[in-house]
Amino acid sequence: MSHIILTAKPVSRTVDCRALLPLALQGKTVADISAIKLAANLSVSDAFEVSVDAGVETPKVTFKNTTSSHHYIGFGMTAGQLIVEGDAGDFLGAQLQNGVLICKGNASARAGDRMRRGMLLIEGNAGDYCGSDMMAGTLGVLGSTGTHLGYGMKRGTLLLAQAPAPQATWIDCGFHKLPFLNILYKSFKLLDSRFAQISSQRVQRWMGDMGGLGKGEILVIQS
Amino acid sequence: MQLNGVDIDDTFAEAFNMRGTRILITAQNLRWAYNAANAMTGFATSVIGCGVEAGIERELSEDETPDGRPGVSVLMFAMGSKVLMQQLETRMGQCILTCPTAAAFAGIESEEMISLGKHLRFFGDGYQVSKQIPDATGKLKRYWRIPVMDGEFLTEETTGMVRAIGGGNFLVLGASQAQVLTACEAAIDAMRKLPNVIMPFPGGVVRSGSKVGSKYPKMFASTNDAFCPTLKGVVKSELDPRVESVMEIVVNGLTFEDIAVSMKAGIEAACSLGKDNGILRVSAGNYGGKLGQHHFKLRPILSGEVTA
Repeated sequence: MSHIILTAKPVSRTVDCRALLPLALQGKTVADISAIKLAANLSVSDAFEVSVDAGVETPKVTFKNTTSSHHYIGFGMTAGQLIVEGDAGDFLGAQLQNGVLICKGNASARAGDRMRRGMLLIEGNAGDYCGSDMMAGTLGVLGSTGTHLGYGMKRGTLLLAQAPAPQATWIDCGFHKLPFLNILYKSFKLLDSRFAQISSQRVQRWMGDMGGLGKGEILVIQS
Repeated sequence: MQLNGVDIDDTFAEAFNMRGTRILITAQNLRWAYNAANAMTGFATSVIGCGVEAGIERELSEDETPDGRPGVSVLMFAMGSKVLMQQLETRMGQCILTCPTAAAFAGIESEEMISLGKHLRFFGDGYQVSKQIPDATGKLKRYWRIPVMDGEFLTEETTGMVRAIGGGNFLVLGASQAQVLTACEAAIDAMRKLPNVIMPFPGGVVRSGSKVGSKYPKMFASTNDAFCPTLKGVVKSELDPRVESVMEIVVNGLTFEDIAVSMKAGIEAACSLGKDNGILRVSAGNYGGKLGQHHFKLRPILSGEVTA
């Protein structure tokens, strides 16, 4: 398997990164990847420096120096690991199907939108509509979250280190110690992420979005 | 052949193919893990009347369990996969789901996975939550979180089912009931230290060995009169005049080697009390070798030959 490293170049426009997924880039050379079109007049080589390391166990992509102009990172990702060493634009991990996506910086709006499975871990802040229409999976945020958190969320878990603003369509289910969190935290410990430091099983649980199916949950970690 | 003055019969234990599974049960502390495991393995001494044969394999430390809590591992055996699946689900529902703080996880990997919490999840009445979480190898495992009155019941969706062997056994013959029981206790203590085996009878020991058939047409099995000390002289007895008590240890395991190794440890422990303490003879139960697929020959096993 290959580890593809994409170091962002300064560009004066937004960059759609949805084509740059761990599985899709497997087996491709630097030249192949550089030639991928991200838009009609933008190829990977215009937006990123590309390097490839072979010999990793799982398909992996690392984005470096990205900013809030880099949208759709990890969009529809189905396997592997994707690391964002920087900020991410809108729709980070949207429609995530599987795999692990770690964002070391902040994410803009609609992170995890319609996410179905897998883990999206944001070490910084998340923008508005984080987890919107989420169907399943685990989305963690260590920083703050914006407005309309979990808007239309059907199922899945939003794991937060900071309490969000109260919302009318989310119901407070009280404080609990949940044993499954130990298993989740064990999986975090295998990752190079600040999420590996979480240990508290005590959470405040909210259920919602009651405007829809209402079987999603927000777990706010208690110290 | 003698061991510490105890005669070892030139015979064999006759054992059968079974299906087996392992479940890891954890709880807030060992007390409650044992409460759950004891309930789950209760009334599971023999497939004849209980459907399955089950027992606690060993204790698990916090480092060995998926959720980092103390626990125990349970082995469960049945004559067929269908019965095993039915019994596992029933016992999960009645014994683990009901036990405060208990959780259940797969204890064995196999190509054949059977339901652990897959159907039990419906107890959650729509509020059950599925979580897929990668294990240490990166393999995704599905867990179910079922809301219950003490918080959440956590169970893995499936566990592995493997081919296994049941019915390994040996008989301890001695001068008194008390001496034979002491020898059997020593044997069980030694065998419980070994992995992949359980001794499903009460305390690991069975006193009511059976033979095939009966004078009563409706009975498939009846008391093993040849080994009943009170019938010496009345029936064609296997016992000499010195023997006043016989007890049997039945062992089920995941492989032939597991059972052979545990039988060796058990017989050696029983014989360690020696002839001077009333342990006279070790034998084994069989049906003439025509029914069971596996023969555990006592003398080769004690010589360290454990091949199938």
